[in-house]
Amino acid sequence: MTGLKLEATKRTPAIDLDTTRGRLVLMGESYPEDVAGFYAPLTSALNTYLENGANALATEIKLTYFNSSSARALRDLLEQLDSAAARGTAISVDWFCDPDDDITQEFAKDIAADISHANVSIQDLDAT
Amino acid sequence: MELDRFFNVSQSLLRDKFVLGYSGHVSEDILQEVGNKLRERLENHACNSAQSRNVFSIFVELMQNIIRYGVDGPKIGPKFEPDFDPIPDPKGDRRDGKNPLFEDVPPFGIIMVSESDGMMSVIAGNYIATDEGETHMLADKVAMLQSKTPQDLREMYRAQLRNTPDKKSKGASLGLIEIARKSTLPIACEMTPMPDGLTFFTIKATV
Repeated sequence: MTGLKLEATKRTPAIDLDTTRGRLVLMGESYPEDVAGFYAPLTSALNTYLENGANALATEIKLTYFNSSSARALRDLLEQLDSAAARGTAISVDWFCDPDDDITQEFAKDIAADISHANVSIQDLDAT
Repeated sequence: MELDRFFNVSQSLLRDKFVLGYSGHVSEDILQEVGNKLRERLENHACNSAQSRNVFSIFVELMQNIIRYGVDGPKIGPKFEPDFDPIPDPKGDRRDGKNPLFEDVPPFGIIMVSESDGMMSVIAGNYIATDEGETHMLADKVAMLQSKTPQDLREMYRAQLRNTPDKKSKGASLGLIEIARKSTLPIACEMTPMPDGLTFFTIKATV
């Protein structure tokens, strides 16, 4: 079982999937040149983890900016987590938003409303 | 360009507080470089972090629209060559193949950020291949977005996010809705027919 660790760049967030602790963190900004290519390794590593008897995953999303193509990738990520939650994995998502970034907060709320099994909680970025 | 024409251009630019402008071939590298510079300038020009964030976000969506949908402009002479290598396009999905003349040349675009009375506007212009159907569809889409409330736009964005992007849209067609959501005033666009099967598309967003 392998995790995934990517350093942040100016256009891509740091990603840390720690499978021994059952923890996933996305932090930074997301407007990659190739969104699908950037997020594919995460989808695949998560799949390996979730399909092999993982019983829990605590996710933290701390993205200060993401473009519309990344928004789609985030929606896909949340759906992937939600499917695992539907199969019985305990999934929590803490989504940290800048308190004066209304649009990102609305985005997180709208995604959370479409998620039925994972537990999504929206929090202020400043609180961390 | 003659000095008097240059003077006229500079006077019209300086009427508003000029924040940043770029004109030339557009690629992801250019987006990155110009975007970094824009962020630095916004620190001095923007009223607050929300305005700065929205201007940057609109800039990124507009530049990516040019990269996805734009074509090179009219050829200016036999010696003309792009100032960097064409963007590799192995799958051929960035171009629709309608205009083979422009196949291997990165799209041309112009983008300008300026400030006036506390508002910042981002205006972009680029050539697109004239296609009556698609050109009208784009203009109609912008016109439709102009009449939407923030709540309408939020719901449209949410609905669009659930749809798989159709192949024709070459990526998320969320971009325009994103621009409209982050604008304070309704977005505006114009299509100007040009020679050689081209249309010049301009779009303006104000924050």
